[in-house]
Amino acid sequence: MARKMLDDGELSQTNQEESQYDFDLFVIGAGSGGVRAARFSANYRAKVGICELPFHPISSEVIGGVGGTCVIRGCVPKKILVYGATFGGEIEDARNYGWEVNEKLDFNWKKLLQKKTDEIMRLNGIYKRLLSNAGVKLLEGEGKIVGPNAVQVTQLDGTNMSYSAKHILIATGSRAHRLSIPGQELAITSDEALSLDDLPKHAVVFGGGYIAVEFASICRGLGATVDLIYRKELPLRGFDDEMREVVARNMEVRGINLHPQTNLTELIKTDNGIKVITDRGEELVADVVLFATGRLPNSKRLNLEAVGVELDKTGAVKVDEYSRTNNPSIWAVGDVTNQMNLTPVALMEGTCFAKTLFGGESSKPDYSNIPCAVFCIPPLSVVGLSEEQAIEQANGDVLVFTSSFNPMKNTISGRQEKTVMKLVVDAETDKVHGASMCGPDAPEIMQGIAVALKCGATKAQFDSTVGIHPSAAEEFVTMRSVSRRITAGGKPKTNL
Amino acid sequence: MATSFTAPKLSSPTFQTLCRNLPVFVPIPNTLYSVSRHHQRHHHRLQLQQQRQRRLLFVVRAESNNGSEPLRHYDFDLFTIGAGSGGVRASRFAANFGASVAVCELPFSTISSETTGGVGGTCVLRGCVPKKLMVYASKYSHEFDESNGFGWKYDTEPKHDWSTLMANKNAELRRLTGIYKNILGNAGVTLIEGRGKIVDPHTVDVDGKLYTARHILISVGGRPFIPDIPGSEYAIDSDAALDLPSKPEKIAIVGGGYIALEFAGIFNGLQSEVHVFIRQKKVLRGFDEEIRDFVGEQVSLRGIKFHIEESPQAIVKSADGSLSLKTNKGTIKGFSHIMFATGRRPNTKNLGLESVGVKMSSNGSIEVDEYSRTTVPSIWAVGDATDRINLTPVALMEGGALAKTIFQNEPTKPDYRAVPSAVFSQPPIGQVGLTEEQAMKDYGDIDVYTANFRPLKATLSGLPDRVFMKLIVCVKTNKVLGLHMCGDDSAEITQGYAVAIKAGLTKADFDATVGIHPTSAEEFVTMRTPTRKIRQGPESEGKMGHEAKAAAGV
Repeated sequence: MARKMLDDGELSQTNQEESQYDFDLFVIGAGSGGVRAARFSANYRAKVGICELPFHPISSEVIGGVGGTCVIRGCVPKKILVYGATFGGEIEDARNYGWEVNEKLDFNWKKLLQKKTDEIMRLNGIYKRLLSNAGVKLLEGEGKIVGPNAVQVTQLDGTNMSYSAKHILIATGSRAHRLSIPGQELAITSDEALSLDDLPKHAVVFGGGYIAVEFASICRGLGATVDLIYRKELPLRGFDDEMREVVARNMEVRGINLHPQTNLTELIKTDNGIKVITDRGEELVADVVLFATGRLPNSKRLNLEAVGVELDKTGAVKVDEYSRTNNPSIWAVGDVTNQMNLTPVALMEGTCFAKTLFGGESSKPDYSNIPCAVFCIPPLSVVGLSEEQAIEQANGDVLVFTSSFNPMKNTISGRQEKTVMKLVVDAETDKVHGASMCGPDAPEIMQGIAVALKCGATKAQFDSTVGIHPSAAEEFVTMRSVSRRITAGGKPKTNL
Repeated sequence: MATSFTAPKLSSPTFQTLCRNLPVFVPIPNTLYSVSRHHQRHHHRLQLQQQRQRRLLFVVRAESNNGSEPLRHYDFDLFTIGAGSGGVRASRFAANFGASVAVCELPFSTISSETTGGVGGTCVLRGCVPKKLMVYASKYSHEFDESNGFGWKYDTEPKHDWSTLMANKNAELRRLTGIYKNILGNAGVTLIEGRGKIVDPHTVDVDGKLYTARHILISVGGRPFIPDIPGSEYAIDSDAALDLPSKPEKIAIVGGGYIALEFAGIFNGLQSEVHVFIRQKKVLRGFDEEIRDFVGEQVSLRGIKFHIEESPQAIVKSADGSLSLKTNKGTIKGFSHIMFATGRRPNTKNLGLESVGVKMSSNGSIEVDEYSRTTVPSIWAVGDATDRINLTPVALMEGGALAKTIFQNEPTKPDYRAVPSAVFSQPPIGQVGLTEEQAMKDYGDIDVYTANFRPLKATLSGLPDRVFMKLIVCVKTNKVLGLHMCGDDSAEITQGYAVAIKAGLTKADFDATVGIHPTSAEEFVTMRTPTRKIRQGPESEGKMGHEAKAAAGV
């Protein structure tokens, strides 16, 4: 019907047709995916309502805020703290460049936190304005699905409001998951870590994912003692193994104590702080223990059983390629579907959803060659396949080009930290299947490389691009000799 | 003529023989030497080609042995004059391809002259590298300011010690010149210290000693040029500015090009009072107009004082040692230093070029064909000495192509399309492809996408820093013709996009790419609505391609 609306432009007539519903679309959750879908649908002239929980930096079943994880408890506040923490190293580096800086620097955590909160409040306001400018009706409260076309919103004062909608979009995101070990209540998650009253003196971070390494880097950069405990041999499972080693080495050199292949068994409250006990018999005492042990979709209190929307075993809403659930009027995008939990992916899903439903153009999100970044210090950024994935998927030989170099800035600062870059190339087609980099500015550098990879650029096309000198990025277009060729057969690594 | 790009003749056995066995006369298809994207040079190329054919003919008569391999023995297959970026690259690659190679270079000094230079050349000793190191050093003052907004506090304002920086910088330069020497040594290239001069098409004189070579490569680079005005002896150039014994208290920088802008940022960051004098209304002629406006504004906000439409007429030294700059608009006093960043000239004097008949243009640059060959068939030239696009990576490209052409039977033309470049001003600029003005001229109908925003870092620091980005898209083909950016990390961000633009990707390709959040770079893949649509009718669809040199503007 919405398509018809666009096609023949008979707006008043179709509006009447639709008047049996309060909304063409009702969105539950005003994070990245929900806001995008709501705004774009409204731009296609759909009548859109959206509900979101009241604002607070720390989320719960009943607390959220317009902007969602990305703006309030994720990308944005995290990046702000990373900026803050990066100055720690920068100031050290300045000395060999001739700058006389006090031996002991004063860092005011409360000031940074206040400014961070100001900024996310500002963004929260901008998101609200974006919605209202697009003509989307924003309702504060907890949304539940009560029928294939019915939503109930419980307001702060407990009043229930019911709305009917032709389509319902679930965009409720996810929340940090706590490990159940004795004393787990003493630990915090990333939500609280972004809003601590005081900078930790000694932080124990448990987890090997990107959130764990980012927080470890933040705390260390701001001067805390940091222990990072993870179960695998290396952090960042799923990323290129060689890059994982680089990240681990950099963290170690910057003073983070790594505890690989280690599990937490118990947390005990003591007078000196929280005693952390590992399965290797280690005991650490910390003032902050952070669990960065994964996130789970916010799907529990949506009443999805009532309408028969299927969930997978993690609680993620199952969707088809167009983000539609098994109930044809109910859709889902973003982290609640647990596909690729990244803001820009939720944006893409939201955009495609609006196009499909109201833009008259069936549109599937394309999950190939999605770049991403880990804002550890220095950061890691990747697009396409890791070396391991490329070898696994290849029919023929795989060529690996690597470059490990001392960034120019370090030649004077004296910092002992290499930047590492890698291109994974299909030997037969010459196509670049993967690019990764760990070093300063990696995420900024990788974005343009991602455009090239997305469009199937070949190594020859990389080589034919002239460098920008002197930059780190130019290494990506000057990798002349292959570091190793992995043959199709037994796929052993041979150093050429 | 431009169609001969696609002609299959380049790999023909005839041409390969030509390359291997020079000098031997082989009839050359007209198209081969007249291929030219550089429209305005086209006529000139034809003349060159005719001269070349006459010369080849002459050589054949003198030396040929019935068209077979000449019997003459040479000391080297290649003798390179000048061990900068282009010369080292060509020499190393030639040696890797099995040629016997020698390269000569002047003795090391941070200041270049007729008698001093150093292995590594301008880039390593007097250009990109020391400049970037100084940029790193000077950027800290801005970072200290930024860090205040992120909660960092300094009991006493950080002070800069000039001599520490100079000592550490020079130690690094000496390390690098050593590395370059090792690279040459490891490749089996003979390094000769001294001034090379061409005696005849196959002989080079280095301080009295003669060396013969089948091919000679001139890669002598360029040097800063200071116009001759009264008192110009008091002015310094960029060579000296990179190696001053003490911090300038108050410095005048004359010029509006990238070198002037970079040094203005360096000295401003290192806490000098900086005045920039430009002849025009805006800095960076040849760059995208919006970028010129934007960078001028941002740089001014950081405390650099611009004097526009002001040309220097004289420098006067006062009794107290301070310098005054007299311009068409008045006199400004009290400078500790006056720096001229008023262009560079090729180092082609006293090389013996005139005597062997190597043709040069009026500014002294060596004229070469698309394979970097001069009017003398055994003499070639790459890099700033040819004044094509004066960038290190372009010299590297030319050097690499040359080695392939001569020693690997693979005639290779450097490709000047979509050469990216950066200006390390503060904030820096990155660009690749056409400016809006060029794109309008070449393609008529274009869509321009722009973003002008306050980056996340600035919202916290409270500083007035902004970022400007621009994409120029051809309406007919949807291809991205140009990308421009001014703001933090511009140079790093532009490189990846340069791959995409070189590969001829479209706006739709950009749009299909998912962003990396939160970055500045993601703005380039999330530009949904054109800022303006420029329509000029069908006439000038870009068959001719474009003049890359103007695009780079440097």
